[in-house]
Amino acid sequence: MTSRLLMMLQVVVSPPQKLGAVPHGTRVIAPIMSGTFEGPRLRGKVLGGGDWTLSRSDAVLELDLRITLETDDGALISMTSFGLRHGPPEVLAALTRGESVDPSSYYFRTAPRFETSAAKYAFLNRLVAIASGNRLPTGPIYTINEIL
Amino acid sequence: MPTFEDEGKRPAEITSRPLLTVKIIAAPLQKFGAIPYGVRSFVPVAGGDFEGPRLRGKVLPGGGDWLLLRSDGVLELDLRITLETDDHALIYMTFQGLRHGPPDVITAFSRGEVVDPARYYFRTVPRFETSAEAYAFLNRIVAIGVGETRPDGAVHRIDEIL
Repeated sequence: MTSRLLMMLQVVVSPPQKLGAVPHGTRVIAPIMSGTFEGPRLRGKVLGGGDWTLSRSDAVLELDLRITLETDDGALISMTSFGLRHGPPEVLAALTRGESVDPSSYYFRTAPRFETSAAKYAFLNRLVAIASGNRLPTGPIYTINEIL
Repeated sequence: MPTFEDEGKRPAEITSRPLLTVKIIAAPLQKFGAIPYGVRSFVPVAGGDFEGPRLRGKVLPGGGDWLLLRSDGVLELDLRITLETDDHALIYMTFQGLRHGPPDVITAFSRGEVVDPARYYFRTVPRFETSAEAYAFLNRIVAIGVGETRPDGAVHRIDEIL
């Protein structure tokens, strides 16, 4: 497997909506109102969306993100990603308290997918990607790599 | 707001290691033809096997890959199969993926020919589910597969994202 940087993405999350225990686990929705992204071939801002997180019975947090990206030249890109986050209990507790932790102390990986009608960015429709995340107090920051 | 240049906030490096190689033997293709999203076909799975540093076994018959040829020439893959390890644990494996390449490569596939995998893009994102304690690590990983189309099916070299 080889990969190269596609973009860095940072999203800003609003206060979480805690739905509590649902049949598949504990559901918390993190609304995303803004953010920025930047990479060698594209850059711009996040228009909004959210991350529908599910805490499973095995203490793994499943991530299901849907956001809209707007490039600096006005193209709209729909991004979705499925991911997993887990780690030692004390690290997860610190994240819950809104503290910064060493990103290598827990597992936070996602598989983003993209959709766009903009010809300039159509390469996004044709690639598979992997992201590594770090949960900052304001929201996650991701390194997204294109799988070559 | 932190910046992308702030080294201390950067996510961990993306690295990987081999998880398993799965060889899938396909049954004859079922063609549904043009549907609203593209051209749909289904490849039933007849069997196969898999092997990696931490697990090995066979692919059980059943399941398959629901293929969608999109209007932009990209083939979307949507696979569901069951793996059985050599110590009899069942693992439910799915993936979504993309395959595309130059027209002559796609034509060669339709003739059942073997093509150098460097000539096309065939990448997947596998997911696993199991209740077996020995393989519970599969429930907790994100993975990437590099696929090769073969005349009798496909081979996927799957890496765990560390």
